[in-house]
Amino acid sequence: MIRKPLLAAGVAGLLALTAACGSGDGGGKESGETALTYLVFETPSLDAKFWDDSITAATTQTPGVKINKIVAPSTDRDGYAKQLQQSGQFPDLLQSITPSNFVGAGLLKPYDKTWIDANFLLPSANSLKGEVYIPPTNSQIVPQVYYNKKLFTDAGITTAPKNWQEFLDACAKLKAKGINPIELGGADPFAASMPLVGIISADILGKNKNWLQDRYADKVKFADADMVTAVNKYRTLVTSGYFDKGALGVKYADSITRFTTGKSAMYPMGSWFLGSVPKDTADNFGSFPWPTDSGDVVVPFVGGGSMAISAKAKDTALAEKFGQAWSLNPANLKALIETDGAFPMIKGKTLEDYNVTVTKVFEESYAYVGQDNNKVSAIGWATNDDALPAGLNDAFYAAAQALFTKDDVAGELKKLDEAWKTAAQ
Amino acid sequence: MEDRRTVRKRNSGERGLALLAALALGLYLVFLVLPLLLSLRSSFTNENPLKAQNDFIGLANYTEMAGDDQLRASLTFTLILAFGVTIAANALGVGFALLLNRTSLSYRVMRTVAFLPQVLSGVIVAFVWQTILTQNGLLNTALVNLRILDEPYPWLGSPHAALFSIGLVVTWVMSGFTTVVYLAALQSIPLELHDMASLDGVRGTQRFRKITWPMLAPGTTISVTISLITVLKLYDIITVLTGGGPANSTQSTALYIVKLAFTSDRVGYASAVAMLLLGISALVALTVTGALRRREVSL
Repeated sequence: MIRKPLLAAGVAGLLALTAACGSGDGGGKESGETALTYLVFETPSLDAKFWDDSITAATTQTPGVKINKIVAPSTDRDGYAKQLQQSGQFPDLLQSITPSNFVGAGLLKPYDKTWIDANFLLPSANSLKGEVYIPPTNSQIVPQVYYNKKLFTDAGITTAPKNWQEFLDACAKLKAKGINPIELGGADPFAASMPLVGIISADILGKNKNWLQDRYADKVKFADADMVTAVNKYRTLVTSGYFDKGALGVKYADSITRFTTGKSAMYPMGSWFLGSVPKDTADNFGSFPWPTDSGDVVVPFVGGGSMAISAKAKDTALAEKFGQAWSLNPANLKALIETDGAFPMIKGKTLEDYNVTVTKVFEESYAYVGQDNNKVSAIGWATNDDALPAGLNDAFYAAAQALFTKDDVAGELKKLDEAWKTAAQ
Repeated sequence: MEDRRTVRKRNSGERGLALLAALALGLYLVFLVLPLLLSLRSSFTNENPLKAQNDFIGLANYTEMAGDDQLRASLTFTLILAFGVTIAANALGVGFALLLNRTSLSYRVMRTVAFLPQVLSGVIVAFVWQTILTQNGLLNTALVNLRILDEPYPWLGSPHAALFSIGLVVTWVMSGFTTVVYLAALQSIPLELHDMASLDGVRGTQRFRKITWPMLAPGTTISVTISLITVLKLYDIITVLTGGGPANSTQSTALYIVKLAFTSDRVGYASAVAMLLLGISALVALTVTGALRRREVSL
């Protein structure tokens, strides 16, 4: 007797659950306005207030739009965007994602090229097969080497190293003086890879700008002799004791504190570190490019930017207008310059136009952006055609951590080639 | 003969029960069986979260697993952790349960404290332990200041130490659960048995060996099985403590599955690995439960 009601209730329960699980898409028309979802991420510098204020400002300039903010649970917005796509909730606007991860699937809409060309210093900094999916509002150098002037003086080093040999000499002098030469936040994989990013960008891409394109075309390999020689430099730094022995246990946030409080003399890091330089001791810090054998300056460069537009957005034209308004708002750039060390790339503006207060070391670092020098894509960080295939960054980070404890440079690089093969399929 | 009111009451009670059962069944089907079936289907495809269309590729994902070094490493790590933690957490659970098997208020408070790690979210637990175990953490600061160590030790920065550290944290969490299970089991042992043992002059370790330990057998079965399954699918604590590093040396299989799906965009392959993990978990759970059940009977 119990079977019939059980069955009926079971079906009803299932229907109710199915209905409950069928999600709204968070967008659509709301009281005459078009609601768009906007994926952002929060950091101590780019907090909720920053995003709310910037959204309000851009909304004012884009009549008819209503923004529903989605905050990524971590700074891995690419991963979160993929999860949202998987569950049918791909946002209409996506802040600072890696377009190459999504363009292949036709998920992004490019910006109007005329607008990009008219407004930015390096219009092609983020270009993917000729299209721009993220306005190149700012840029970073990844990495630069930041150094503590007082510790250099204490070790008898009078000028910043200009080539690899001078760099090694400086490390040796610092170590002899009982100062840890190089800081490494090795517990966070991206931070652990910084010296390797510097070495490969300077020694390999500095000599062949198209190395990553050649790797895609299978003309070169990670296991090639020149790459092995370059990466052996990292082992030289490790085996010479120029990093703290326990560096793989140091969190990225701790590495900043350790460097800024004088526990280490040098810190290879992305130029976003400039936002963490303590204002009261800022003059004690300087920067120099990752050194090459010859002393030629190579700048591992990354075009940063604002938001990408979903090709499936409810109103792509309106979304683009919002993206344009947000991208050109100097107030947003001001926060990014001061707190995230972003180098502004909007045409016709100088630092003064952003009404920012920056340190001397910021100006020193920013100078490399404007100079006519050998700018190459920072391996693992580029968001243009030189971006690594999806999943390879993880393999690259793992190799960087492994090479901290293992001598098998050729073996680790061979693993990267194998990972590339899988990732590029 | 039953009157109408009694029959109506009984029917309405049955309907209420049926509704509750249906709801439970619905939840089970929608949130467990359906995802499992979808995952199984996905494991035979090259599903990519960014692509609308995916192809059926037969057993290709399953054959690829045979040559996947990262998978092998993650399974080895997961199994070592699962068995290590299960042994340690159950030993601690028995010990704590014996210590806390009293009825006074202070013991009841201590029981609550012992269970606390199990109540806290894994993410919070991991963040707390991270502040203790990082290079500049509380543990190194204390050990260096007490001159036990000359320099900070990389508790999370070397593969072996990181395995030990994760094991320690997970054991701490699981011991709350095992303590409660063993306490319940201890309290279900008839007092008469202990009284008779006292009369026979059986005391101390002999009493534990002859009476307490055999009578804890049902609790052991539950505690060991649940500990094993929990650690086999561990994700949150590892993600926060080490992120699977250094150099993927602490990458659990669950973490590897998430990375495959959402970093490498290989949902199909990730689903196949998830099926393998499910199979291994089921096999381990069935084998261990079977062995422990047989032990219960023989005791």
